[in-house]
Amino acid sequence: MKPVMISARNVQKSFGATQVLKGIDLDVVKGEVLAIIGPSGSGKSTFLRCMNFLEEYDGGEIRFDDRLVGYRKNTNGKLVKDSAVHVAAIRARMGMVFQSFNLFPHMSVLDNVIEGPMIVQRRKREDAVRQAKGLLDRVGLSTKIDAFPETLSGGQQQRAAIARALAMNPEVMLFDEPTSALDPELVGEVLDVMRSLASDGMTMIVVTHEMAFARDVADRVMMMDHGKSVEIGPPRDIFTNPSHARTEEFLQRVLQRAAPAPLKNPEGVL
Amino acid sequence: MDYTWHFQIVWDYRMVFVRGAIMTAQITFWATLIGLVFGLPLGLMRRSRILLLRAPAATIIELFRSTPALVQLVWIYYALPILTGLQMSNTVSVSIGLGLHAAAYFAEIFRAGINSISRGQWDAALATGMTYTQAMRRIILPQAVRRMVPPFINEFASLIKLTTLGSALAVYELLHEANNLINNTYRPLEIYTVLALAFAALIFPIIYASQLLEQRWRVRQ
Repeated sequence: MKPVMISARNVQKSFGATQVLKGIDLDVVKGEVLAIIGPSGSGKSTFLRCMNFLEEYDGGEIRFDDRLVGYRKNTNGKLVKDSAVHVAAIRARMGMVFQSFNLFPHMSVLDNVIEGPMIVQRRKREDAVRQAKGLLDRVGLSTKIDAFPETLSGGQQQRAAIARALAMNPEVMLFDEPTSALDPELVGEVLDVMRSLASDGMTMIVVTHEMAFARDVADRVMMMDHGKSVEIGPPRDIFTNPSHARTEEFLQRVLQRAAPAPLKNPEGVL
Repeated sequence: MDYTWHFQIVWDYRMVFVRGAIMTAQITFWATLIGLVFGLPLGLMRRSRILLLRAPAATIIELFRSTPALVQLVWIYYALPILTGLQMSNTVSVSIGLGLHAAAYFAEIFRAGINSISRGQWDAALATGMTYTQAMRRIILPQAVRRMVPPFINEFASLIKLTTLGSALAVYELLHEANNLINNTYRPLEIYTVLALAFAALIFPIIYASQLLEQRWRVRQ
């Protein structure tokens, strides 16, 4: 039995009067790749951001490696907000990749990658640089080490951001729609890197609209709608035999968009 | 219009202008230092989520921004000693008064600069495991400072000119020296002309340097 890395129990979250997470349960085991799909506004990204407490959940609990995320029990046994240092220590063990890359624009690619190891883990510069060069080579950016983020394409920026997250030697990688901001022709290069990570056994939670990636790479797919987990299971069950009408309807809509009907006049004469 | 300009007399008294310029520069230096030292924490406090930090910062900032600098200086020099028994020299009063005045404006520049950095930068820094202080120091401030330079230079230039208010407390800065000279020589037009040029000579190099800096950052980033 593989150890559980992340577990969520009845996780709830409200923005003002709107409840965006309505009690979500989830267990992700070590080495698992979980894809979270669902319509926009379903709470996928919010749920993912709760896992490293970038978003504060206000009900239920999330555990990472059996440690409660963001809260602790005080001497009376009541749950109170955990100290910033503890939260930071948990975050340092998880990597996160964002839709909008969020590279540090005032630093070169190399400096982006060594920043966390040097500042958070207090590792030696030469050690961090050696590892960073290896990672940048792995994501195909060894020629861009000294480049600044704004000179890179979106795909290159996102691969650099993946290298930056990996430099912390994370135990879990969280991906928040990593390809949604990319031009279509750049999506593949980022998915390739993620595929290779998955085959190396990295524990990954990926919020995505890339159904092909979810189908081919994920061990399990979770479908979210209106702040709830509608269903969760192996991709072949979800994609070929969904047990909920809501999932079927959603998949039909996105898969139709991905493969548009053939043109009536394929010669395209106008 | 047959006014005859006599700049020779200004040249004869050139050391008076040098002396005044040194005093103006000294007051500006101390006021800027005080402004920066108090402005950054004020700006940070004002964007805090904690009301007990935010409210006093907002009160101090708006108090100094909404009252005339001249009144502030007069108040610190004449009223503060009555209330607290703390009597400071006129030069120190002007330096501290203008320093607090500048702090209020610097605080707003810091706040706006920090707020202009996107939330994604905070996300990335915090997700890496940085604390608030590490994220601020390593990721947010270095980016924010670049955006703060133009408004900061504006404020700095206006601070240099505000030192002329020191003349109201008989501080021997440029304007006060110039006025004394006028009383001795009766050449106000020449002396004010040179006074204007002296301020331009102080301020222009700073504006020029900031433009160079902005250009360099634009190229490198």
